[in-house]
Amino acid sequence: MIEWMHPGLIFILGALLIPVLKGKWKKTYLLLLPIAALIDLLYMSKGVFWRLPLLEYELVFGRVDQLSLVFGYVFVIAAFCMTLYALHVKEDGQHVSAFLYVGSTLGVVFAGDLFTLYLFWEVMAFSSLFLIWYRKTKASSEAGFRYILVHIFGGICLLAGIILHLQSTGSIVFDSFNWGTGWGYLSSYFIFVGFIINAAVPPLHAWLSDAYPEATVTGAVFLTAFTTKSAIYVLIRGFPGVEILIWMGAIMAVYGVIYAVLENDIRRVLAYHIISQVGYMVAGVGIGTWMALNGSTAHAFCHIFYKALLFMGAGVVIEMTGRSKFTELSGLYKYMPLTFWLYMIGAFSISGFPLFNGFVSKTMVVESAALSHLPIIWLMLEGASIGTFLSIGLKVPYLTWFGKKEKEPVVEAKAVKEPPKNMLAAMGITAFLCVFIGMYPQALYRMLPYAVDYAPYTASHVIGMSQLLLFTFVAFWLLRRMLHGTPTITLDTDWFYRIAGKKFIWFCEKPLLDFANSIDKVPKDIANSFVWFSRNPTAASRIMVLTIGAVVVRPFDPTSTRYERDLEELRRLYPGESVHRVAIGTGVLLVLMFFTLYLLIYLTHGILWV
Amino acid sequence: MEIEKKYLFRMLYVCLAASVLAGVLVHVFMPSHAAFLWQAIPGFSAIYGFVGCILIIVVSKALGHHWLQREEDYYD
Repeated sequence: MIEWMHPGLIFILGALLIPVLKGKWKKTYLLLLPIAALIDLLYMSKGVFWRLPLLEYELVFGRVDQLSLVFGYVFVIAAFCMTLYALHVKEDGQHVSAFLYVGSTLGVVFAGDLFTLYLFWEVMAFSSLFLIWYRKTKASSEAGFRYILVHIFGGICLLAGIILHLQSTGSIVFDSFNWGTGWGYLSSYFIFVGFIINAAVPPLHAWLSDAYPEATVTGAVFLTAFTTKSAIYVLIRGFPGVEILIWMGAIMAVYGVIYAVLENDIRRVLAYHIISQVGYMVAGVGIGTWMALNGSTAHAFCHIFYKALLFMGAGVVIEMTGRSKFTELSGLYKYMPLTFWLYMIGAFSISGFPLFNGFVSKTMVVESAALSHLPIIWLMLEGASIGTFLSIGLKVPYLTWFGKKEKEPVVEAKAVKEPPKNMLAAMGITAFLCVFIGMYPQALYRMLPYAVDYAPYTASHVIGMSQLLLFTFVAFWLLRRMLHGTPTITLDTDWFYRIAGKKFIWFCEKPLLDFANSIDKVPKDIANSFVWFSRNPTAASRIMVLTIGAVVVRPFDPTSTRYERDLEELRRLYPGESVHRVAIGTGVLLVLMFFTLYLLIYLTHGILWV
Repeated sequence: MEIEKKYLFRMLYVCLAASVLAGVLVHVFMPSHAAFLWQAIPGFSAIYGFVGCILIIVVSKALGHHWLQREEDYYD
């Protein structure tokens, strides 16, 4: 009897059957798989399962504790909503890669050792790549290549760290790593870099804002949830309380906000706000108190739902209008009011309005910064909330659904309307979950890894947040003209591998190749001179002697041209006759001389050497 | 549409006033432990929200215009 079925395996093995099924059966099957995984999770007992011996090590596929369970729940529930959203997609490949992606993320979450972690880490990177490539545009194919190159680099860092860790400790158990300064912690540093690349910590974040907006409409919804949040999970496991993460997280939160103000693409704005929101979680891991770790976990949980909802809304706009830039959008409210309101629930949630789920999780991280007496961090995180509401709650809806009067709806002639029912239903369920957790936070708090001693709905929290967001609106309204989209792109750290990369290739093709060629030339010239010499060694030697003679004589007799004339003649005739003819008698004489020499040695060697 | 807009703005003003008033009342009648200096200022969140939002817009736009924003075909 199978004591415990890996929920990731349900997705991974389940994905194999997708191409076989057709029509209604396929749709039912797609929705049943996440439900099956959720039931499996609900009946799962805590403990360590599925240990497989490998050489002298033990692989652990199922480490089930409260922390891995929370992440397991949210991933599986989100997978259900996202699959419903993507149900109308005809290409089986998209479903297969999405399911492999979800399954491998669950593999990461339940991995109890570093080898298993690494295995699923790589599957996650490669399966998600296809969600970008299936968009089938030039931009998506290029962005996909950059995406996978960054993740391969991250994977190599992780692997290097794991090997160093194994060498120094002899263990592959995945637990919190040692942290400090010095060469002794090199393995931890490598693993750390591997993790924070997936968590999109600047300056290693550009893969996210580069690739997610180029993914397919439904694929992007999947992408928002799994890679970054599984990175938060492994950071909570591996590096809780590592101080540098506090600053990284706070900088991330503000960084995403600033770029989101500048961006002109609806999904790129949302992508920068993934970075910003993950910043709260990273900061929470760095603070490392129970409350902060709870806050990071809770915020990851809530974030997955509202960010999926926001990407679903943006995806609907792209699907129905074929446009994604603010400079080409406006006035959609008339055509899709329902999408607008569902999007706004996501926007209120991410901004942390009371009664929405962002409020019950984000304030937990911010509050733990206050309790740990980190004033600047507190100001940065609270300030990022302002920017979140500004971009997601005000700029995006204003420019997409309303917009300038003088520029009436810029939409295609084809009737722009509400999206297919499955997309609306998916948004509805996700929106319901956002509001439900916002109104009934205990449902979430009970699942958290540590005991929760935090009440979100105190008068000062509610009033403080309301003031913050209401006055953000006032400032937005005064400066709204500054926020209109401009047809530009914003440089980010991907510049280094996009421009510097091009320059590097140029360097390899031009100066480096020239240098290599010049090095190559020396042995070639030497070889050529041997070839030249061996064509006619006698004549060649004469040429060489005469050349030297000419050089030696010139200083004493500058008018002499004797050598030059001979040299010219010799060079002209070279190689000329290949052999000097001699009389046959000379040859016979040489042979006789050789034999005589031999005879002499033969006769005398007894006397001379013995 | 015009009437609706007027109505919405009136509602906004009411909300703004209510939030500030409630903040002051809570500050006076339910004084809580302030972790930071500025939390002793009544209505700090309102000020921070307003000033912070203007700062974010102005600083981002300045960074964008002078440094970060380029033509769309920059990488092509």
